[in-house]
Amino acid sequence: MLHRPESLGEAVGLLTGDADIKPLAGGASLVAMLNARLVEPSALVSLARVKELQGSNELPDRTLRLGAMMRHRELAERTTLTGPQRVLQRAARAIANPTIRAMGTIGGSIALADPGADYPPALVALSAAIELVGSAGTRLVRAVDFFVDWYTTVLAPDELVTAIHLQPVGAGAGVYHKLARVAGDFAIASVAVVLLDGGRARAVIGACGPRPLSLAEADAELARGNVAAAGAMLAEAADPVDDSRASANYRRRVIPRMLARAFVEASEQMHSS
Amino acid sequence: MNAVHTAVGHSFERLDAAEKVTGEARYVDDLYRPGMLHGAVLGSTHAHARIRAYSLEAAFTIPGVAAIVTGEDFQVPRAGAFCKDEVPLARGKTIYLGEPVAAIAANDPEIAWRAARAIEINYEPLPSVLSIDEALAGDAPLVHEDLAKYVKIAPSFSQGNVLWQCRVEEGDIGSAWAQCDVVVEDVFETAAQHHMYMEPCGALAEVDRSGRLTIWSSCQSVHLVQQRVAESLAIPMGRIRALAPKIGGGFGGKGGLHVQHLAAALALKTGRPVKMVLSRVEDFEMVRSRHPARIVMKTGARRDGKLFAREASILLDGGAYADESPAVLSFAVLMARGPYRIAHLRSRGSVVYTNKLKASAFRGFGNPQVTFAGESQIDQIAKKLGIHPVELRLLNAVDAGDRWAGGQTLPACGLRECLTRLRGAVEAAPPLPSAAPQRHRGIGYSAFSHISGLLSTACNIYLRSDGSVAVNTGVVDIGQGSDTVLTQICADALMLTPDRISFASPDSDSSPWNWKTAASRVTYMAGRVVLAASIEVRDKILRQAAEIMECAVEDLEIRPGGVVGLKGVGGQSIGFGQIASHAISRLGGPIMGASSLLFDGERMDPKRALVEGFAFGNIGAYTFGAQAVEAEVDEVTGAVRVLRVWSAHDVGRAINPRMVEGQIQGGFVQGMGYALTEEMQWDESGRLTNPTLMDYKVPTALDAPLEINPIIVEHAEPSGPFGAKGVGEPGLIGAAASIGNAIANATRKRVYRLPMTPERVLDALIGKSG
Amino acid sequence: MTDALDVTLMINGERRALRVAPFETLLTSLRDRLGLTAAKRGCNQGVCGACSVLIDGRPARACLSVTANCVDQEITTVEGLSAPLELSPLQDAMVRAGAIQCGFCTPGMLIALTALLHESPHPTRDDIRTAISSNICRCTGYQKIVEAVADMLDASAA
Repeated sequence: MLHRPESLGEAVGLLTGDADIKPLAGGASLVAMLNARLVEPSALVSLARVKELQGSNELPDRTLRLGAMMRHRELAERTTLTGPQRVLQRAARAIANPTIRAMGTIGGSIALADPGADYPPALVALSAAIELVGSAGTRLVRAVDFFVDWYTTVLAPDELVTAIHLQPVGAGAGVYHKLARVAGDFAIASVAVVLLDGGRARAVIGACGPRPLSLAEADAELARGNVAAAGAMLAEAADPVDDSRASANYRRRVIPRMLARAFVEASEQMHSS
Repeated sequence: MNAVHTAVGHSFERLDAAEKVTGEARYVDDLYRPGMLHGAVLGSTHAHARIRAYSLEAAFTIPGVAAIVTGEDFQVPRAGAFCKDEVPLARGKTIYLGEPVAAIAANDPEIAWRAARAIEINYEPLPSVLSIDEALAGDAPLVHEDLAKYVKIAPSFSQGNVLWQCRVEEGDIGSAWAQCDVVVEDVFETAAQHHMYMEPCGALAEVDRSGRLTIWSSCQSVHLVQQRVAESLAIPMGRIRALAPKIGGGFGGKGGLHVQHLAAALALKTGRPVKMVLSRVEDFEMVRSRHPARIVMKTGARRDGKLFAREASILLDGGAYADESPAVLSFAVLMARGPYRIAHLRSRGSVVYTNKLKASAFRGFGNPQVTFAGESQIDQIAKKLGIHPVELRLLNAVDAGDRWAGGQTLPACGLRECLTRLRGAVEAAPPLPSAAPQRHRGIGYSAFSHISGLLSTACNIYLRSDGSVAVNTGVVDIGQGSDTVLTQICADALMLTPDRISFASPDSDSSPWNWKTAASRVTYMAGRVVLAASIEVRDKILRQAAEIMECAVEDLEIRPGGVVGLKGVGGQSIGFGQIASHAISRLGGPIMGASSLLFDGERMDPKRALVEGFAFGNIGAYTFGAQAVEAEVDEVTGAVRVLRVWSAHDVGRAINPRMVEGQIQGGFVQGMGYALTEEMQWDESGRLTNPTLMDYKVPTALDAPLEINPIIVEHAEPSGPFGAKGVGEPGLIGAAASIGNAIANATRKRVYRLPMTPERVLDALIGKSG
Repeated sequence: MTDALDVTLMINGERRALRVAPFETLLTSLRDRLGLTAAKRGCNQGVCGACSVLIDGRPARACLSVTANCVDQEITTVEGLSAPLELSPLQDAMVRAGAIQCGFCTPGMLIALTALLHESPHPTRDDIRTAISSNICRCTGYQKIVEAVADMLDASAA
């Protein structure tokens, strides 16, 4: 059974009570998993017609609220994301290829929490928040808390990602670097670096563990300009695996090297802005 | 040949381009037959295990299941092209994880899939060998206990897990090293690559009331399909008609059976058409791969740049079944010397069985592996001697009149021109904008040889009553464009435009034998018989015309547009149509031409070279090439980008230059994948861990170089049609070496293992613990 | 099918009614139910691009689209890119440039390129390469596909 609700309430209602009923966003991940028989849902709830998930708006406190069904392509072309928020635009641009970017959505992507995906490190670097709606109501979860483990988030079976909240930031820089075997592949390792006015820095490593990796101590070192120290801490704390893309050992080695390069670019972006 | 060359040398558009670009072209999965069932295959779950029992009851309880076959349903002797070790479906034991153990026909693909998984098989696991070293260990479990009893088509050492050995030696290698001023010796390792043709393997089999099978399949030879399915089912070949729809690429992977015999067996069992198309995962797991290799390569040279000695010790991992491994090994051994005058040569190798997917034919056929090793060493020696890499190659390049390893004479050789024009092109190329910080650029070279003459082929041509021509060769166009090239050859011989010539789709009922589309052989081998048959038709046209015009044959000539006239006398002429009609109704019967050819090049010379275990009867029509790659290495990550490529190929004569370019460019990019990103990976249980396009990565348009500049060199091959020989494989052969040499040129560090992933490059740059 | 759905799709400007399984993909519906076999099954995972179609003018993987979810969208397949017996300028350009070998990737490439040309009438070579990075080709090495489009644009600009 494929349900096609037109309201968020209806969608949540359909998901409530049966964990085998799955929401369908862009289909880029879920239908691939269906085809590979990795999931066997009893029903699907298409979010295509749920108006509340479309578009974006600015909240009174100037938080930018991006609807969950926003496609990667739209984010990738969103040049109004400036300064630190450019990290999100660049992460979106790094996803897969133009056709997948025209299909996939940010809500669908982060709900899957593929550790090799591009949004998670960018969202954590921006201290973004994820808006969730379920039968128990609405809640806002910090990105860093949203991603729990391999393909695991805090989402309850009847909860949907409804929006991403980007807090207002001042001037700054945002850089996203991705190392992959071929164009469009999932990352072997990725680095999101955000620099804020006032000397604050945030570095988040992707694809090197079950969740995006950031350390307050590493950020502090980065803010002091001790990039090598920051990189060493992150490499030490990373928990990468051996997979078809690369070995765990290589990922650990490459973290500080990629961080150094990303930091240089972020600093240059900072100075030229 | 005194034909006016109006078609040969021109870049005609492909005959099938319009149907492919509109989506009308039909590949096997686009075919639907009334009452058709869908087939699925079940793969084994153990790398090595006895099959104790099958239980099919649960599967048959699923509504819509029509038939199931297992290995027990195929009680036929083992088969195989070189060593008869294969069974149609695993029987008695399974010897690689994923090996087909059962096939199911059902009303739809979903039911077939579920039924496959409902089959219960009682396996008794056995210890397995998953690497060359494990296979060669003293107490290694045997993949084929009965190896000694298997029939082989040529003599070779076979024992334990060693399937085949081969050796070529010339000169006196023992004393040669002492006479060298520089010697390099390294171990090179290469991985299993998958063909990754865009169209997964599939077949549609239908049986008629008389029990005759029609099989459409994605294949590289309708004749081999017919022959081998007949063998698998123990039925006469005449009861099978094998056809080829449009083929979505092959690259060697579809040169042997995949599922044709399974679809056929299910069609026979159910009496209904059965279409079986592998999923991409199954295609990775169940068909064939390129041989992983370990090569100890040693090259010695004199101070003046003359190469003096080469020794290659080649170990190939052949996987679970022999398939074409003996030939791949033989070819690797033969090619290991490289296209150089090296007096002292010892090239030898073994291919071993392991409990993995069988390795077999794949574009290059053993040559890419040895070329990676050998050509890496040529650039190394050039560096040590302070000689330009192209100059060093020119100093040693073979030329017309020289001999290949084993003693065959090269009647033509454009290698020097390839090298010279290559160097010129690289030097003339405008520099790219400077590299970004921490990126290092370098240029690497390779030179290589390959063949295009092998086994046999035939052609029939018929002149229609309107003067048009029907050509039938049995050649399967797997995407490389042979239909068009062969049509051009016929067109020139008869001075017709290609639109006056129809090219038959291969049909084992009516097409004469062609071994297969492989080995870069079609333009050369099929081209020769198309040309010969066309000339026979031409001669008959002239003789018939002489009868009609009541003059001597010698006074007549063929003219463009399908007419015959008197030499030196304009105007008066008669058309092919009139001639054909006259023959059909008045004199002699329909005008036809036929030609049949077994490769007839000079054989190896046993007085000159020691050759043992060589699996080919005769092989030749050597081609030559040289390639340069400009690559950029990122010192931070070890990632490599190929920026520009120049690739010069002596093709004898380019029948269709644009198509030749396409082969060179496509071959390079597939070779780039082999060099940088493609590696089939198995875990310790023998499971292929990356059988999907998510996990096995081939180059995309953004990975491919900005430019691949093909340089066509033409030193006519005397025996070739209009001087032509093949180019299907050479674009790929030198790629890994060129790229590896570019990395070394950029960074002074060398990678000895394929694929040259960022990790392996970084290890080379800063050491494993840097 | 026990829980089949009756749906109507808008394909190449025509309304087509068909009966589908609930989670059936558009690729299966196009090929097996409607006989529109230009879209190919190369991987069924959305990676290879051979199944690509246009949905509301944007490129999409038919193998990743649930048919029942496409009922209010305009679907364009390669069969709809030109009139019978004719080739569009893009198709003609591909033929003339020698950009087709086995042809299995060709339909998907045409979809990606058609989408590109709609959005960006004067794409650069980099834009072309980026657009076709959505589609794997194993035969051509991509060079002549890029040339085909570049040549077509040069010709129309001249």
